[in-house]
Amino acid sequence: MNTLQRIPAVFFFEWRRTLTVPRLAWMVALMAFPPLLLMLIRSTARSEPPIEVAAILVYVLAPCVACMMGIFLWATPALSSELEGRSWVYLAVRPHGPLSVLFGKYLVAISWSIPVGLVSATLGVIALGVVDPIRLIVVQCALVVLSCVAYSAVFLLIGVIAPKRAMVAGILYAVIFEVTLALVPAAVNLLTVQYRLRCLLVRWMDMDSAMVERSEVLSAYFGDESAAWHVGVLLTMTIGYLTLAAGLLRYREFTAASETDI
Amino acid sequence: MLLELNNATRLYGTVIGVNDISLSLENGAHGLLGPNGAGKSTLLNLITGQLSPTLGSVRVLGLQPRSSHELLRRIGFLPGSEGMYADVSAIEWVAYLTRLQGFNAGDAKRLAVQAMERVQLTDHMHRKILSFSRGMRQRTRLAQAIAHEPEFLILDEPFSGLDPIARHSMTTLLQHWIAEGRSLLVSSHVLYEIESLTRSFMLLSGGRLLASGTAGDIHTLLTDVPSEVRMRVDKPRLMAAELIREELVDSVQITDDGELKITTTMSNQLSRFLGQAVTEDRYLVTEVRAADDSLQDVFNSLMKIHRGGK
Repeated sequence: MNTLQRIPAVFFFEWRRTLTVPRLAWMVALMAFPPLLLMLIRSTARSEPPIEVAAILVYVLAPCVACMMGIFLWATPALSSELEGRSWVYLAVRPHGPLSVLFGKYLVAISWSIPVGLVSATLGVIALGVVDPIRLIVVQCALVVLSCVAYSAVFLLIGVIAPKRAMVAGILYAVIFEVTLALVPAAVNLLTVQYRLRCLLVRWMDMDSAMVERSEVLSAYFGDESAAWHVGVLLTMTIGYLTLAAGLLRYREFTAASETDI
Repeated sequence: MLLELNNATRLYGTVIGVNDISLSLENGAHGLLGPNGAGKSTLLNLITGQLSPTLGSVRVLGLQPRSSHELLRRIGFLPGSEGMYADVSAIEWVAYLTRLQGFNAGDAKRLAVQAMERVQLTDHMHRKILSFSRGMRQRTRLAQAIAHEPEFLILDEPFSGLDPIARHSMTTLLQHWIAEGRSLLVSSHVLYEIESLTRSFMLLSGGRLLASGTAGDIHTLLTDVPSEVRMRVDKPRLMAAELIREELVDSVQITDDGELKITTTMSNQLSRFLGQAVTEDRYLVTEVRAADDSLQDVFNSLMKIHRGGK
């Protein structure tokens, strides 16, 4: 039995552990806040917003904020919670244990956050009262899935790189890279998940042609590559981050022991 | 060969966890003794592959622990820290960890139930771990270490925090394990806990292997080491002078509260002297105390030998 066959064991065990009142309350809160906020926005407007505006509003709140927050809470402490709870040692002394735990928890993070994102995006579009909502819902749901898949890998890697300060490192990454640098029209934003998702939103909603043609600056924000290219890059980044996390987990020494345990 | 260490050294930055240990152990039961901070946990982490040696090599059952999945299938480990998931039942936790050993769900559950029977927790195995007493948690931790039927069981301070009944129960269980012909390495900082399981000891202190062998071997090693005796006597200065004159002591000290503290390598002659002095009414001896025979004293003595002193 190798790593692949052990991953389901971790996945189902960890999923059962997530079914607690506080965690389910978090799930509901993350699902509910984008549609509630959009409902408030809609109630202050006299007419339904243009489709482009609706697309950006839902995108910012669902695939970006709700998904990123959900994943941040799930994936970032995947390793640090085991180290702090001193339960890591039981997993580390199993054949293929660390890698099974890494990928099992990755699947838990995306399987937990994708439904949150899908519900919040769908309800968000409905809350805005868009005339033809189907296309927008489909696009937002696709972005939710990609967002969860990519961000889970990113935050899992951050948790493996800095297990003792995982949450702080996660917040710093989100603020510095995904919020700040993703908005800088320079090569550095190509490294962010946010840039790829934003480009995909513009492509899939046909918002790009007129805008990008008018300004080179906007081209730096939305790129001029095809949607397939951006999806490919996102998936490559995801595989790269997971491979790096697995490599670190395999070769770095993670013990809960401190010097006092010598 | 069960265990083979060649100049194994492990550094944590500038702190030495394990210092240049070389030893070979055959299959069987062995005790790893040392005071807190001696390097026992580091050594066990090296043996279970959680750490790799900074220098030297470690081989367990002929395999390198750090890179061997096969070895992890063949060993069971009970770590020194608790680290259990409090929110799941004992059987769920043991079955989960057994599954990670490579068994399918059905077999893992069956083996977990057997292990819970073995540690006598069948009646409570569906309870959440957070409701368990310290002894029950310790037995559950042992169950996860033995559920997959390993050939080499490694236990880090298994008796820590147990009450006498739980301690006895743990000892009995481990005695059965040894009687089945399986190998065991158990660490402790209390000698008598391990004495009931094995006569093969390794003594560790300051990251160094001070001695190994049977209790008799270690006792022999200590025969030339001065032992400390404290006495309350009516004329301490007079007795001190007589002991020095008779050359029965290595050092004498009279403490502030009048206690006579001596070190001697001639314990037998000293006891004869005292017996004679008391029966002849030369001194009124109200208390005689040998420093207790605790492991810490053994370590202290061995450290003195190790450093070239007496």
